[in-house]
Amino acid sequence: MDLASLTADLQRLRDVALAAIEAASDVATLEALEVASLGKKGELTLVLRGIGALPAEDRPRVGAVANDVRAAIEVALESRGGDLRRTALAARLGAETVDVTTPGRPIARGALHPIVETAGRIAEIFGQFGFVVSEGPEIEDDPTNFQMLNIPQDHPARDLWDTLYLDLPGRLLRTHTSPGQIRVMRAERPPIRALLPGRCYRYEAVDASHASEFFQVEGLMVDEGTTMGDLRGLLDEFARAMFGHDKRTRFRPGYYPFTEPSVAFDVECVVCGGSGCPACSRSGWMTILGAGMVHPVVLQYGGLDPERYQGFAFGMGVERIANLRHSVGDLRLYMENDLRFLEPFA
Amino acid sequence: MRVPLSWLRDYVEIELEPGVLAERLTLLGMEVKGIERWGADWQLVVVGELLTVEKHPRADRLSLTTVRIGDEVRSIVCGATNIRPGMRVPVALPGAVLPGGRRIERTEKMGVPSDGMLCSGDELQLTTDADGILILPGDTPLGADLSDLYGDIVLDVDVKPNRGDALSLVGLAREVSAATGAPLRWPETDAPETGPALDGRLSVEVREPGLCSRFVGRWVSGVRVGPAPDRVQMRLRAAGLRPVSNVVDASNYVMLELGKPTHAFDAAAVADGRIVVRRAATGEHLVTLDHVDRTLDPEILVIADPSGPLGLAGVIGGAASEVSESTTDVILESAIFDPVTIRRTGQRLGLRSEASLRFEKGQEVRLARIGADRVARLVAEWSGGSILAGAVDSAPDEPLEARVAFRPARVNRLLGIELARADQQALLERVGIATEEQDGSIDVVVSAEPMPLTIGVESADALIALVPTWRRDLQVEVDVAEEIARVHGYERIQPILPDTPMPAHRESPLALRDLVRDTLAGAGLTEVVTSALVSTRHLETFPLPADAGEPLDGDERAAGTPIGVTNPLSSEHAILRQELIGSLLDVVGGNLRQGRSDIAIFEVGKGYGRAGETAREWWRLAFALTGSAEPPAWNRVARPWDLDDAKGIVELLCRRIGALVPSYAPRLGDPILHPGRAADVESAGHLRGRIGELHPAVVDAWDLRAERIVVGELAIRGLAAGQPPTVRSTPIDRFPVVERDIAVVVDAAVPAAALDATIRGAAGELLCDVRLFDIYRGRPLGERERSLAFRLLLQAPDRTLTDEEIEAALEAVTAALAASHGAHLRA
Repeated sequence: MDLASLTADLQRLRDVALAAIEAASDVATLEALEVASLGKKGELTLVLRGIGALPAEDRPRVGAVANDVRAAIEVALESRGGDLRRTALAARLGAETVDVTTPGRPIARGALHPIVETAGRIAEIFGQFGFVVSEGPEIEDDPTNFQMLNIPQDHPARDLWDTLYLDLPGRLLRTHTSPGQIRVMRAERPPIRALLPGRCYRYEAVDASHASEFFQVEGLMVDEGTTMGDLRGLLDEFARAMFGHDKRTRFRPGYYPFTEPSVAFDVECVVCGGSGCPACSRSGWMTILGAGMVHPVVLQYGGLDPERYQGFAFGMGVERIANLRHSVGDLRLYMENDLRFLEPFA
Repeated sequence: MRVPLSWLRDYVEIELEPGVLAERLTLLGMEVKGIERWGADWQLVVVGELLTVEKHPRADRLSLTTVRIGDEVRSIVCGATNIRPGMRVPVALPGAVLPGGRRIERTEKMGVPSDGMLCSGDELQLTTDADGILILPGDTPLGADLSDLYGDIVLDVDVKPNRGDALSLVGLAREVSAATGAPLRWPETDAPETGPALDGRLSVEVREPGLCSRFVGRWVSGVRVGPAPDRVQMRLRAAGLRPVSNVVDASNYVMLELGKPTHAFDAAAVADGRIVVRRAATGEHLVTLDHVDRTLDPEILVIADPSGPLGLAGVIGGAASEVSESTTDVILESAIFDPVTIRRTGQRLGLRSEASLRFEKGQEVRLARIGADRVARLVAEWSGGSILAGAVDSAPDEPLEARVAFRPARVNRLLGIELARADQQALLERVGIATEEQDGSIDVVVSAEPMPLTIGVESADALIALVPTWRRDLQVEVDVAEEIARVHGYERIQPILPDTPMPAHRESPLALRDLVRDTLAGAGLTEVVTSALVSTRHLETFPLPADAGEPLDGDERAAGTPIGVTNPLSSEHAILRQELIGSLLDVVGGNLRQGRSDIAIFEVGKGYGRAGETAREWWRLAFALTGSAEPPAWNRVARPWDLDDAKGIVELLCRRIGALVPSYAPRLGDPILHPGRAADVESAGHLRGRIGELHPAVVDAWDLRAERIVVGELAIRGLAAGQPPTVRSTPIDRFPVVERDIAVVVDAAVPAAALDATIRGAAGELLCDVRLFDIYRGRPLGERERSLAFRLLLQAPDRTLTDEEIEAALEAVTAALAASHGAHLRA
């Protein structure tokens, strides 16, 4: 073995390896080639075994050639390997392509009922002004539902509350949330800011705008200096929060036996914006609640001295607010629970 | 109340546009609910003059007429007999549409063309006369549109129950006057007594002065009963009343004009001219004007003569004493009745008339006299009779104006305004309330009966409001405050935000309820709100289970029969429900019938029951599931809801409300649930209820078109007013959890929960959790065997477990399972 033939072997080895690397079609082949040419038992090792037969002065020269060959093969492996991995990745990505335009896998989410949600929203708005929710019973007695609210037996105003009576002595289904005023005043001391949501009942034939079961939210604020100006201010805030900050409001006389003065509170028609349409009877206004300064008799029944304490109460129909908020035209929809009506609220 | 503006103008000048007037009245508290253009439906009806009237050549009952309308002359065939040349009449031109939608076209009648139609009062709904053509006054402008001449603006005013005085044109004219400052024009209410003296012909005996505080009677003789003047009929029509006759119309006219109901009797039907106001005797009868024979009792006040009742006081007259065409003399009654008696009579007989509505609200005492005089005047004027001199009056003394003290400073403090004393006086003046000062101490009435409260104040601090007799609603100080506020204008009260002390913080009772609702919505269930009043059918199918309504909060337990409504609107809503599942099944059924097959709903609502003589209301959660458990999609295999979903819901709820993992036990004997697929569920102290598949028999009986329906109903602590739990964090364990799986073969009847309990009991303190992860039946297991695979999680807080410790625990578990359940490990 001489220097020249050994060098020639190395160069041939290099040429063969480079050609094979160039021809390799996948990473596995390339890895096999690496082992075959550069591995511990690879061809390069085999060739270099002959180095011992060379004269000492030739050995470094062969070593230098061998290192060049190794470097050349390593570079080729690296380069070809990169190419092949890129190709393989591209092939995989191509194979994994899906139709991204198909709809997703739906995730179920139930709707919350608009009446309960609207009542919650009302509570949230008044909550910002310190009003605390409390609840009274639906099965009431005549004194709390009527007499303590300044509606004596046989008072013509009782026509406003056609009543469902129960086969429990002296009990009826509350016709409004107002008896809660009495209960709150008896349970708490001023300052009182209470919000009373709940289900109410009336002897009333059901149609698009009347229900025999419905929901109200009552508000009560009593302390030593609450005035009608406070009532107006809070109701204005409420109307804006509920229906939009551009909405005008109107404050006009109403009638309830348990408030004096009594108030009807209107909001600019949410349908026509005040220009007049069938929804607002062409008046441009929609009445959203009744209110007033708590009648001295009611304060007294609540155990408060009307010379010291004064305040206001208001009551609104949740369905009415929800109708305006969600453009619902028929009260019956709320208790029919047709899923086609409810699901958009999800 | 319907208020024709042309009529209202008799009593007050109105220059405002109707829309503006309506707004002013509304802001004054007389809410105008609608503005109707009366006569707007007379299109193409104009005034014509009859030129000729001749017999139809081929029909005796028809006339051929020529009518001049402006410059043109039309030929019109007419069936009426009251027409003569020269008369002015309403002509409906071809194309006209009459009230009720009747369309007029050019036609041919018995071979003669007719170019329009002459109209009767009835066809125009102006008067009740259907026989003859409406003859218009001779000076009616030819060619004018009828709607311009007789059309009107009618306001629909919602008069509040406390303002009976405003349930009249004069009353509303007073309000217009307050709004505009235009003076009130009082109608001519004196009665010209052109007849002889009454002279004992009429006597009135009021036996119940407490129920009839005043009775004024008048006599008009020589009347000729017939139609009232057209103008009167038109006004009544526009106001919503049907014209009857000149006498009855006079009474109705005054009721609308002054708000004073009166009644006219045929004097010939009143024996000896003797009227007695008394309670009815038990068993007495009266045939009322509506031809109903009514049995009376002493709760009812009647107007009678010596031979028996003539009418029900304040509610309805009797048929026998009704004014008819043969009537020559009428007795007029103008009385004040006790509102409560009238109201009760009306309610019990189901009779609410325009008259009784006004009596119920209370009447000004003065009006008894004024009303009698005004009706007598109009009857005489319209029917040609003469009013006998003198009237019978059971209580001629008339009360003075009421004196109501008020403190201007208190008014300001209540309203949140600063109005000078003089300004307050001026505002009251606009509604006819004079004020005066009073020397010495003044007693201010803060509250009247039944909670009287009077405050004595210095003379300088209060004023006396002299309240006109018609304003019966103004009794205490705050009433005067409202009067000042409404005349001043509520809109002028400045809005402010409260700066008074805030109450202390308090938790919302809705918090836990909302958490539960949100949890269920998140799990894909839609919230419903159903009626708490249900039908008896619900009750029969869904009797309250013996264990339902079991108190969780230490409440009393509901028991006994459900609470019923004594005056239900329908049998569908007659009972207060005790549980919610029935209500949800109604919703499921309704949606199934709408073609929905996948339904998942819940309700948080109340059950109601008796606890002795008192009522109890308890909050519940119920849900119902049918169809596919997840939204159907192209990329998912459909899976029906089943009992495990119900359990999953319950377990999720328990996590959310901070309750322990619930336990399940077979629920046997529940009539509405599948006997093999029903469970009692409980998480001690927090949640209790039943879940299950609806019994197929119930599915059938309720005509629920679904394969399976899973239902659940739960009592949950805190649903009434509880708070969500506060989460306490736990340190993350530093030592590894060891998982070991065991599969045990047992008799198929052994419940999983029993195995679970045995494992937990036997594994010792290293066990931190057990999870069932597989159940297998089939070969190679025996026919009656099944294999359950559990994953045991073992951990110690202070060390890594050794193999010996783990094996010891597993061996204890295996031994216990074998001992308790005959279980052996699956190979």
